[in-house]
Amino acid sequence: MQLHGAKRRKIQIAALYAVLGSAVLAALIWQETFPSISLWLAFAAAFAFFDWRSVEVNDRMLMSPTVMVALTAAVAFGPGTAALGVAAMAPLGAFSADDFRQRRWFQPIANFGQMVVTAGVSVFVLEWFLERALASIGDTFWLWIAGGSAVAATVYGLINYTFVTVAVRAVFEKRDLRPWSNLGQLLPSYLLMGFVGGLLGATYTILPVVLPLVFVMFIVGYLSFASYGQLREAHEATLRGFIKALEAKDLYTRGHTERVAYFAQLVGEEMRFTGTRLERLRWAALIHDVGKLAVPRDLIRKKGKLTEDEYEELQVHAHVVEEILAEVEFLRPMVEIASSHHSHYDGGGYGGVGHTHGEQPSPEACILAVADAFDAMTSTRSYRMALSQDYAFSELRRNAGSQFDPVVVEALSRALGRVTERYGSPHLASEEEARRLAEGRQVTSRG
Amino acid sequence: MGDPTVRVKSPIVPVVWALGSAALAYLLMGKTEMPLLEVGVWAILLAEASLVSLPASSGNRLSLAFAVSAALPFVLTLDGTGDLPGTVDLAAAGAASAMGLLGTWMFRTLRSDPADEVMAAVLRHGFGVAAYLVVFAGIVSIAHSLPVPDGNIDWVRLFAFSVAASLWFLIETSFWAFMVFGRNRLSRRYLWLLAVKDWAVVLSLLTSGALFGFAWGELGFWAVIIAGIPYGFAHLAFYRSQESRRTYGQTIRALSRIPEVAGLSPKGHSDRTSGMAIEVGQDLGMTPDEVTDLQYSALMHDIGRITLNEPSILKMGFTDEDIARWGAEIVAEAPYLSHVATLVRQQHQPYRRPGEERDIELPMASKIIKATSAYDHATMELGFSPLEALEVLHRGAAYDFDPDVVQAVRRVLERRGVVSA
Repeated sequence: MQLHGAKRRKIQIAALYAVLGSAVLAALIWQETFPSISLWLAFAAAFAFFDWRSVEVNDRMLMSPTVMVALTAAVAFGPGTAALGVAAMAPLGAFSADDFRQRRWFQPIANFGQMVVTAGVSVFVLEWFLERALASIGDTFWLWIAGGSAVAATVYGLINYTFVTVAVRAVFEKRDLRPWSNLGQLLPSYLLMGFVGGLLGATYTILPVVLPLVFVMFIVGYLSFASYGQLREAHEATLRGFIKALEAKDLYTRGHTERVAYFAQLVGEEMRFTGTRLERLRWAALIHDVGKLAVPRDLIRKKGKLTEDEYEELQVHAHVVEEILAEVEFLRPMVEIASSHHSHYDGGGYGGVGHTHGEQPSPEACILAVADAFDAMTSTRSYRMALSQDYAFSELRRNAGSQFDPVVVEALSRALGRVTERYGSPHLASEEEARRLAEGRQVTSRG
Repeated sequence: MGDPTVRVKSPIVPVVWALGSAALAYLLMGKTEMPLLEVGVWAILLAEASLVSLPASSGNRLSLAFAVSAALPFVLTLDGTGDLPGTVDLAAAGAASAMGLLGTWMFRTLRSDPADEVMAAVLRHGFGVAAYLVVFAGIVSIAHSLPVPDGNIDWVRLFAFSVAASLWFLIETSFWAFMVFGRNRLSRRYLWLLAVKDWAVVLSLLTSGALFGFAWGELGFWAVIIAGIPYGFAHLAFYRSQESRRTYGQTIRALSRIPEVAGLSPKGHSDRTSGMAIEVGQDLGMTPDEVTDLQYSALMHDIGRITLNEPSILKMGFTDEDIARWGAEIVAEAPYLSHVATLVRQQHQPYRRPGEERDIELPMASKIIKATSAYDHATMELGFSPLEALEVLHRGAAYDFDPDVVQAVRRVLERRGVVSA
């Protein structure tokens, strides 16, 4: 039923966007003439190149200098032809290889419509400035161009954003919208790229020979950004893979890190963390238990209370690993978060590296503490079976304000409701019952 | 050219060189009608720009001075009556370069950069820029003698730039490989490939110089924005990707030490093994990419020992093959390191088995790890002297250790001064 509704909405949006796009294109064909074909082809190739390969510059934030190419082309084409020329390029961006590979139909159609409208309208705005620029000379010319392209880039960003949000909100679930919630961060880069785009276009009209050089510069920079994105992805995947492989040796903690990272990410998104901050939180969650890998297994699995000496040994092992990771400059903030995830919200508890007693831990450490405790309660351990989610939340709430940050506890509760997922056993409601059951099952669960 | 470290020890060389450059600049200044002020400004810009360096993966110090030099034949042109458009004022450009390099040498020496490095960089830059200017000017004047319409002269300059800049790049990388070779005695091929890997940085420097040069004449100060912003974009990208490459390596190194701090393998073993493996790989003429893989797999070669954390496994006993297999399983979880996992898995294999030909499928990196790890084990655990350890490798050269690798280990030890030749 729900699937049905989503499909109907998809068709509606796709039809609406396609009609709007076609209307704009028709109006432009009627109003304007087509620019020189060879020039158009050169710009269209650059436009497609950049649009098909967006680069992740910050965590989950994609960037593509398409707007720059669009405005460079617009100024190079000149008034009377610009809007049609650029709007005719826009459909190229709609056909990405990814969509074809995954046999999507909605994205290409919706993208076609929204890109034609975005490009057509923003360049039409730019043309007004262009006409004034061409009527003036010297610095005034440049000022008209610079101002006009900045305005056009803003219009471009706003229209693009509106169309995408409307489509995503109507068709997909709400949580898919998160990556789009950082318009504030995107707008300045749109503005800058548009501004540069306009200037380059104007340079082209005076000195066409400059264009190949500019393309070379951008392609080189772009390839480096791409390699940067890939390296960062490799870095995270490597860390993730290693920790997964290392903890796989232990039946009871298997998957713990992945789940804690997931819960931390959910809470972080719920608390509106973005970019670097969210990335740090996720990485901190990945390494929060890495110290344990160096601790002898019999110590971790021990059922009774640890002796003073054994506890000491456990701490030493855990800290040595943390110190090694903290030597990696990039990881240092994450290690700090990770190592203070045992300290309490009210400043008590056991603090990690660089933690002074009585100090309130960072919000990231509080999130990690809640995520860690929640997963510990809702998964089976050597000494007891998994508890129910309701029990886990009542336990978290009981200790909110002292051990846990109440804001974080509620955020986790909301986030799990949002993604409609449940963890833990469906019925076990008390610690004692869980322990009793675990003792009965000991032989089988040991494998 | 010899070893730059040795040559620059005498103070006479830099003095002679400085006087020579000053004389050259003076002579060239007499040949141009360009005002001294303008040439001087470019020289100062060149010297200043040499203080701003870009991150390059080879360790070669590439600075903004490349961009300034690249702009010279565009901005220093003859435009008196009777001069054809775009004719390069070679005397002015040469004088600006000579003065600029003199300034570079002075600034960097004042900043107490290592003297041999500064001298080598200045010489390299001098040769490169001289070739660049001459070829550029030559192509432009040849074009003038052909029936090329005046309107197309900008495209001729673009062509001249591409040819001259490629030549400069070739000179820069070859000289660099040659000079570092003199110091560290690494394989030339390896160093040259390393330098060529910086093509993107060099390309962006030279291109932004040309971009500025073209735009300066027509647009004045707007040229700074038009060349500056694309350059800034590229610079940021290089910086970021360099940074993340370094961090990635550091993380792998940190992870490789987990078994060591857990007391499951000897302290510093993976670090020492990888240090020696890198040198052996370079000695055997591996490419920079192969050396990076070798480095990672040597660091990771004992990661499988973390499994010994499990008391039951210690009780059951284990072989070298188990360690290699467990290690490979762990590394294989990281999707970008699958080839490193293969190298780790094969590290225990002999290069030849009794009654068989040598196994050509076995990767060189695995053979290097086997030998260097055994060497470290012999010297650090068994208390052997370097020569005794080398003897162990030689004795194993029938099946276990590839004789080529053993030879390379020997050369590395000689170079380190541990074993006399």
